[in-house]
Amino acid sequence: MSKVKTDGKMLNATNKLKNEMGRHYLAIEQAYREGKPTAWATAGTPVELLYAMDVQPMLPENSATVSAALSKSQNFIELAEDEGFSYDLCSYFKTNVGAVLSNAEMNVGGTRKPTFMLSSDVICDTHVNWFQVQAERLNVPHFTIDVPHVVSNTTNRQRDYFKKYIAEQLWELLDFITELTGTEYNPEKGYKIALNSYELGKIWQDIYELRKNIPCPVSTRDTFGGLFPLFTMPGLKSPIRLYKKMYEEAKERVDNGIGALKQEDFRLAFMGIPFWYNLRFFSNLEKWNAIIVFETYVYAFSKFANPNITKEIVINYPIETMAELALSFWYIYDLKTRFEKLKETVKDWKIDGIIMHDNLSCRPNACGMYDLKRKLMEESDIPSLVITSDMNDPRKMNETQVLNQIESFMEILRKRKKR
Amino acid sequence: MVKIAYFDACIETPEEILVAADITPIRLFGNPMIGIDEANEHIPPNHCVWARNILQQALKGLSQDIKGIIATHGCDCTNREFDIWLESVNLEFFYFLNAPLKRDNAALKFFMDDIKELIIQLEDKFNVNITTEKINRAIKEMNYIRDLLREISKYRERMILSSSIFHDLVKNVQQMEKDKAKEMLESKLNELKTTKSSLDKKMKKILLTGSVIDDTEFIKFLENLKYHIIIDDLCIGTKYFWNNVDETDDPIRALAKYHLNKPIYSTKFPSYERFKTLKTLAEQYNVDGIINIAQKFCEPVLYSHPYFSKKFRELGIPYLFVEMEYNRESYRQLTTRFEAFAEMI
Repeated sequence: MSKVKTDGKMLNATNKLKNEMGRHYLAIEQAYREGKPTAWATAGTPVELLYAMDVQPMLPENSATVSAALSKSQNFIELAEDEGFSYDLCSYFKTNVGAVLSNAEMNVGGTRKPTFMLSSDVICDTHVNWFQVQAERLNVPHFTIDVPHVVSNTTNRQRDYFKKYIAEQLWELLDFITELTGTEYNPEKGYKIALNSYELGKIWQDIYELRKNIPCPVSTRDTFGGLFPLFTMPGLKSPIRLYKKMYEEAKERVDNGIGALKQEDFRLAFMGIPFWYNLRFFSNLEKWNAIIVFETYVYAFSKFANPNITKEIVINYPIETMAELALSFWYIYDLKTRFEKLKETVKDWKIDGIIMHDNLSCRPNACGMYDLKRKLMEESDIPSLVITSDMNDPRKMNETQVLNQIESFMEILRKRKKR
Repeated sequence: MVKIAYFDACIETPEEILVAADITPIRLFGNPMIGIDEANEHIPPNHCVWARNILQQALKGLSQDIKGIIATHGCDCTNREFDIWLESVNLEFFYFLNAPLKRDNAALKFFMDDIKELIIQLEDKFNVNITTEKINRAIKEMNYIRDLLREISKYRERMILSSSIFHDLVKNVQQMEKDKAKEMLESKLNELKTTKSSLDKKMKKILLTGSVIDDTEFIKFLENLKYHIIIDDLCIGTKYFWNNVDETDDPIRALAKYHLNKPIYSTKFPSYERFKTLKTLAEQYNVDGIINIAQKFCEPVLYSHPYFSKKFRELGIPYLFVEMEYNRESYRQLTTRFEAFAEMI
């Protein structure tokens, strides 16, 4: 008997995600019990190198989303604001500050004092500032990786020395960890971890490939949650097994012509970070028989989207691979590349329209969004809707207003379908 | 003479390279008197007001003799804005200079590579030859300008020169042909040598820090409230002439080192090091207090404020933090806060 669900909801395999995250938190607890080194890391840093150096990573952004999902983030954010941090600063950052101040448990988004912190400006300055603030408050060492800013007219010649600079810092990072923990980099282990990370990213991309099918077999119910192992466990074996199960189940749906929605009238892309405190918001789209089939933010963390990075390169040059990937990360693409990639994505995933989240906490992502929207419409006849809200601060979401905007947008899409 | 503008949230653009190419560097400043409706069509309203203001001017059209722009790595907002310039602003030359976040040897090498790339692109575009000799000459010229500014700054310290006139001078130097800037500074210095102080000695001696503060009217506003900016760590201020470029080293290396060795900006890492500079300056100049200004939505300054507040409280140095809109109306609205601080110190 087929295991495929027919009610158009979550994949069964996604339910196992809780076990995977449980395994991650258990590993953190175990590291503390056994006195092993631990590190906070920001999204976009090469977490694989931490695993390769026997350091247990913790990602405060991931923890912040847990707080939001449990309706705890606002309280933590307000605690941080009481400390003098502005209303306008990143809500992940403030959630983390508040959670640490309250000694929150890990199951509500708390985290533990690490051996050291690892940040990078690959996504935003906030990551570097955030860990600078917390490293000072918790009195722990902090290493940051400076990733040069790629713009629309950056040349290949420039990319070469950008890459060299990043790679040099990654080697310095390994020395920094050795100095702190005594662990030397083991190339054999580094290679295995890089390979696992590659496999994890590639299966995730395979799942996205399946989403090109009509009807789409996988919805945001699976992807927004399913992305966490990409953040926290790249390089480990166990999330690969989970993703393989997700893939198999999605494939079975495709083979049987079953979609995540019973009736799929509109296919959408979502750009930006979701509102973690209100994920049910995305279920509203089902009212219009609309499904999100591509999320740029979630896809970005599959990392290995650069066609120049082959499995052979990953195996033979794991450090250089990390350097190259830092320069070609979906979430931070320059405006020209963002436009080109979105255009391709719309075509390949047969997307009717794009919802762009002008996230009050994520200025690097929001900057250029208006131009992108205009250019997509003018040059490629692709409609987009910009909605303004925040990823972790529920005070900054006006749900009724956003729903009204979406209703109007869906009406536009409906009319376009009739053309 | 060809002019190239630079958009810099700090002051890490090596003007010497442009001078060596016979190009006049023109630093872009905001204009708090204009509306920014066109810029708001490109950038959401919760992004840095100053950066949006400069985009507005560019969209409206910069001076006709400005042929290009160098945007120098600053914060998320200024960095991301560059691609919008590329899309929407009509200029012949665009270069994003990746002034590094860090201050170590790897960063130095990287910065040198990026300055060399700037030279290559300028030579290609403007058919010029930027030789080592020409850069060395430009370094000497700029060092002389820095020497003059340091000399003139001493008159501000002795309360002979008002902080607003000084601010205006530094701004002008960043927008003039350097020959003319030299003449202007030499003349000012000569004038100051025979000037007697007319400033009220009871004015509060302040160390001013924070975001880019480019509106001289704001400095005048503070003066009217009886503050004298005896010292600052601003890029339109002391950071522009903090020290000199080494004239004995390889010029590209010397330029990169010069910019990385200055006191750190709030946009660079570790920005908390700024505290040490501020503490040293506060003690050296025996200031009555420190004023830290954040332009609205200036994230780098917003992140460091609670730390500074704690550290200055521990030291017993009066510290005022003000978040400010980029328009003159907002100055008046802040009068009470500044008056209260003056009372307190």
